[in-house]
Amino acid sequence: MPSHGPKYGRPDASGPGRKGSTRIWSDPPTNAPASVARGGARRNGLVYEGGNQRDWNAGMKERNTTSLLNRILVNCSSQAKLYGSCVAAKVPEVERDMCLKEFLALKSCMQRTLQRKAELRPGIIIFSRLNSEEPIDVCIPGSRGLFYDDGNKIILSPANDQVYSWKVVPFDPAAAPISDSISDGPILAIRFSLDGKLIAIQRSNHEIQFQHRETGETFSHTCKSESENILGYFWTDCPLCDIVFVKTSGLDLFAYNSDSKTLQLVETRKLNVSWYVYTHESRLVLLASGMQCKTFTGFQLSSVGMIRLPKFEMAMAKTEANNKPVLAAEDVYIVTVYGRIYCLQVDRVAMLLHSYRFYRDAVVQQGSLSIYSSKVAISVVDNVLLVHQVDAKVVILYDIFLDSRAPISAPLPLLLRGFPRSSSLGARSSFKDGESSEVASYPSDHEATMYGDDWTFLVPDLICDVSSKLLWKIHLDLEAIAASSSEVSSVLDFLQRRKLEAYKAKHLCLAMARTAILERRPVTMVAKAIDVLVTSYSNSFKTGYFKGTKAEKAQSSGAAYATIHGTSVNASRSDTTGKSVEREYVSGLDGESFERPTFSETDSDEDGNTGYVKPNSNGGSSKLLLGAETRRTGGQTSLHSENVGASNNILRSTLQPEALVTSPAISPDEMYTYVFAPVEEEMAGDPSYLVAVIVEFLRGCNLERIKVRPNIYALTAQLLARNERYAELGLFIINKILEPSKEVALQLLESGRHNRQTRKLGLDMLRQLSLHNEYVVFLVQDGYYLEALRYVKKHKVTTMRPSMFLEAAFASSDSQHLAAVLRFFSDNIPGFRSSPDHNTYYHLLNEMNMVAA
Amino acid sequence: MGLSSVASNSEGMQLCIFDLRRGQNEGQELDKILFFYPADLPFSTQLSVIGLSEGLITFTRIFSPEAACEVIEAERHSHVFFEAEPDIWMVVIVEKNKEAEAIWRVEGLRKVLKEVHSLFLMFHGSIRSLLEKEPAAGSVRSQLYIFIMDYLSDFLSSKKLQLPSFRDSLKERATVQMLTVGREAAIEVQSLVRVVESCTGSQSSHSLLLFQDLLVSTTLSPDDTINLFTYAVLRLTPRALSAGLSSWSYLRKGSAASTAVTGPTMGSTTSLSEPFHGSRGTSAGDDHSHAVRPLQHDRWSKGRDGFLITDIWQAEPGSLVSVTPSIWLQQTEEKMYLCAYQHKSLTFIFLIPVSSVINGEQGILAVKQLVLEHASLKMLKVEEKLSKGWGGENAYHVSGYRYLLVDGDRNLSRASPPGKVATLTKDSLLALSKLREEVDIEKSRAKWDNDGHEKDLEICTRARNNAWVISQVTRGKELYMVLENANETLLYASDAVQKFSNRYCNGAFSLD
Repeated sequence: MPSHGPKYGRPDASGPGRKGSTRIWSDPPTNAPASVARGGARRNGLVYEGGNQRDWNAGMKERNTTSLLNRILVNCSSQAKLYGSCVAAKVPEVERDMCLKEFLALKSCMQRTLQRKAELRPGIIIFSRLNSEEPIDVCIPGSRGLFYDDGNKIILSPANDQVYSWKVVPFDPAAAPISDSISDGPILAIRFSLDGKLIAIQRSNHEIQFQHRETGETFSHTCKSESENILGYFWTDCPLCDIVFVKTSGLDLFAYNSDSKTLQLVETRKLNVSWYVYTHESRLVLLASGMQCKTFTGFQLSSVGMIRLPKFEMAMAKTEANNKPVLAAEDVYIVTVYGRIYCLQVDRVAMLLHSYRFYRDAVVQQGSLSIYSSKVAISVVDNVLLVHQVDAKVVILYDIFLDSRAPISAPLPLLLRGFPRSSSLGARSSFKDGESSEVASYPSDHEATMYGDDWTFLVPDLICDVSSKLLWKIHLDLEAIAASSSEVSSVLDFLQRRKLEAYKAKHLCLAMARTAILERRPVTMVAKAIDVLVTSYSNSFKTGYFKGTKAEKAQSSGAAYATIHGTSVNASRSDTTGKSVEREYVSGLDGESFERPTFSETDSDEDGNTGYVKPNSNGGSSKLLLGAETRRTGGQTSLHSENVGASNNILRSTLQPEALVTSPAISPDEMYTYVFAPVEEEMAGDPSYLVAVIVEFLRGCNLERIKVRPNIYALTAQLLARNERYAELGLFIINKILEPSKEVALQLLESGRHNRQTRKLGLDMLRQLSLHNEYVVFLVQDGYYLEALRYVKKHKVTTMRPSMFLEAAFASSDSQHLAAVLRFFSDNIPGFRSSPDHNTYYHLLNEMNMVAA
Repeated sequence: MGLSSVASNSEGMQLCIFDLRRGQNEGQELDKILFFYPADLPFSTQLSVIGLSEGLITFTRIFSPEAACEVIEAERHSHVFFEAEPDIWMVVIVEKNKEAEAIWRVEGLRKVLKEVHSLFLMFHGSIRSLLEKEPAAGSVRSQLYIFIMDYLSDFLSSKKLQLPSFRDSLKERATVQMLTVGREAAIEVQSLVRVVESCTGSQSSHSLLLFQDLLVSTTLSPDDTINLFTYAVLRLTPRALSAGLSSWSYLRKGSAASTAVTGPTMGSTTSLSEPFHGSRGTSAGDDHSHAVRPLQHDRWSKGRDGFLITDIWQAEPGSLVSVTPSIWLQQTEEKMYLCAYQHKSLTFIFLIPVSSVINGEQGILAVKQLVLEHASLKMLKVEEKLSKGWGGENAYHVSGYRYLLVDGDRNLSRASPPGKVATLTKDSLLALSKLREEVDIEKSRAKWDNDGHEKDLEICTRARNNAWVISQVTRGKELYMVLENANETLLYASDAVQKFSNRYCNGAFSLD
């Protein structure tokens, strides 16, 4: 998502629009350095986090006593506000169904609150479905502005003769800025080259200055003609060129010659450009032209070359006949979701957000989303589209994977987490390099500045709070989103597509599956949910998340995880994303060339994300830390205990370390270990419900051709036998719903202690599996020693102990049988006649005969 | 009406039910008799038949209190005994007629007695409990009479009762015939079963699923499965329904029993009970007229919503409002509502405990609605799947073999299709009938000898027409086989069995 530089910056004289530029905020150059030194106090996020936890708990106790109405009002304040403002706007013209949307949102929120009164999580006071992470402090004394370089993912802040840069990936609030000295002068935009060797600074509408970072050498590039302005520029990894200038007259592509330290013009595309939008993520530049600025030409400068997209127009509703609105740069966003590139356009008149999807040779309008705020902003987190309704201070989430236009949940507000509050700061202060030691006099009203006017939204998931100079990263609170919907299957579907926090999503899925079963939700509903999980596993398998184990699809996926490590994770991931997306281009569109750059970028994104963690500056809060930390230390696994809820204690010790989980897909084995087995333990009474659920699971697995391990079968057999539903158990076995295996056979023999028919089924299964030894042993146990001997002879089982048969024959006190057994072994085992067994039983046989006589 | 003609034409067969605990005093002997067929026989004859039976039972009990008399083989008659409930005996007396078809297998006849009693239990509860409720036994008698006569009407063949004879040797009563389904279909079926069960909202509800006349799935106990299956095949399956509608059809295939002429049999209830009550001279009044007749023909039909409907069960005597049928489960002794849904060849029967349905018919209607809502799609799917895998009438024919396979543990049987069995010569069938008789005796002996330990048994006999008649009993499974025009060596016969066993029985008969 591009930033809207000009909106928050000083009035820009450089042209009609500068969408692609990366300025977030900048002071007028003449301003005296505004020193708002807030020091490192802000970096005490972890301390704060801990303190916050306690606050939450206290809050919960309190809340339990507050009235329901109160809670509704607290919880649904945003919906209430939306509805209120909507009604207020329309009064006095009252009509039927007016503000229906808002009303429904409010109503559902209220209902949800009522339903969940008992399970309100402490601390998440309002709807904290979205959590911003702790911010990065980008405050530098004397700063003259903030710029975001999305190519390198850095925040730049020039001050005096220095430019400070913070890496935002991995997002680390404790990151110290790197400084480069630059020459003084006006700065309109600043970007590092992709290899990090050059700094390009736009000095004016006609001049861009380049500086070599190591040597400090500079050279400038100026426009030849006075009639054209430079709107902006960006570095590219396209093989054609290194940097692209966007000018009012078109695109100039330059290659950088490192020897001569000059730019060489490679190609020029002549076009009238009013303004442009570019994101490095998509490698796509959209050039707006025309009276209304709604005609677009797009170029993608990917690593395979430059592709020109067909010209297209965006839809704009008219207010009045003669009043044609002009599309502004800040109303157009390029977003990358699931490897697809979309363009979102705000139609302020129609209050709609139109979406367009880019194919190689086509741009297809995909439908529109309603917006409820005159000002919106777009973020993308983990392929979820976030539409910030800035006026209403809420976010609406969309998962456009299935082309569904329905929001995932009700509108949600943001919750700032790790926000340094002056009260919790105490005297702690650790400072950034060389910063002043003034302890933060932190403006206390900051807590209230949600969606302040000076918030700038950066691609794809960053928010820069210009006034306080904090950079926030948006983070989805999956748990809260999951809790906000009662439709389990759709939530699971959503969670299964989350890759960023695969571990958490997986745990949530498991917990939800367990809960749904324990609560005995209708079988059809649970079946639907299970289908989602099975299908997702099957898909992730097909796309190769479980690489390296393809050959042994049926094997434990635990092993699969173990084979994937560290960086190879990312390699295989991006790779597979590529594949999966290519498949979408069945309609003859060349997905590869078009999409690849996105992926390579996604790559680096994910690199960062996997490593992205809260810093472990003080070890006290290690509970919350994972990721890179964990990986470095190897086997240390500390899990998000609070994520998974109370019923998950069992899991902690056993599930793989978080860092190794790359996909929320759940293998059949995990279903057994973390869903069926624990549920079976907890579930009292009639197990037929659980059997029904397992049958649905088996059905799903069968449809997807996923092999199930015998332990689930054995469990099913056990459940049926416990309920004395032997007839059904027989059916399950005969129809091979429970596939034959040694485990199942032994379970049948065990369950068959009270049911002869079932025991026989177990025996038959052993025989059919050619488990001769076991079969014979059980036969003898049941007293069929003669039959066992015949079987031994036929199948040449050589490992049997004669004494076992002799004992059984003796126990039956049938001298003829004993004699027969003795004879059998004498004939078939050489040397048996001289063995002690023979002697003992020969003697016993004689005694028996004596008695009989 | 058919009944009287049956009576007049069947001197060859008598069937009676009597209670040893009743009529102990001089002059009250008639009280013992609960049922006698033919009903128009003079009481003196009835009493002499029952007196003989009672005497034999009393006598044999001296030696074997557990199991008294099983059969009397007289010169001209066979008396087959069955103690249906403690001290309530059923006896069937058949004439030994050298001519043609009158050659019976005792166990086959006893199975008929068992079957009719089990069905009666299912619909009315035990005779003993009915007697306890009504010591005068008037309505018990009428219930028994109506029920058994309805049952026997299935054996009517050209106005003559045709009890199972040697021709039915490759058939086993009181077993269930199952459809063989693949794993995928089986899972779908189970999924359907579970969904329907969850719709009924009761944990002790049960279901039975049939495809054509074959069982696909059951959640009932084995005994209840047999009873309900038998009833379903007699009256509920698509074939049974259409048999009622078009009894004249030439296309109807199947056993002699189910092809019994049903058209002209039953008249009104009054004419049915006339001979009985007339002869008894009791003033039973009208208590019989509302006796439920679940085995009556042509009373089931398919409703518009796919559920089978009947007017057999009525809310009140004489009222026209019919209610949902209910049956008794043998195992749990629970009363269950019976609902049957039919889609093409699929018949889905589900049972809901009466106690769990709060507001009667309304509750049932709600459950039906739920089932339609949640499961009708699944039914379609299952039906489609099963039809695809269904091999037709002769699906279980194995060329060269005429066989009967009985799994005693699961009460299953599978046999060559009747059309194929009909190709066997009479000699082969007679030989088989005899062989089965032997095996029956051997089996019952083994049962008393050594409880729990199953003996293996293998008999091969050479019959006329170069036929091998083979029987093998292994660990609770029985296989009967007729191979006509077969090679004369015994090796050939045993090879044939081995092949069959490995191919169709998972090697159950080739253990050693």
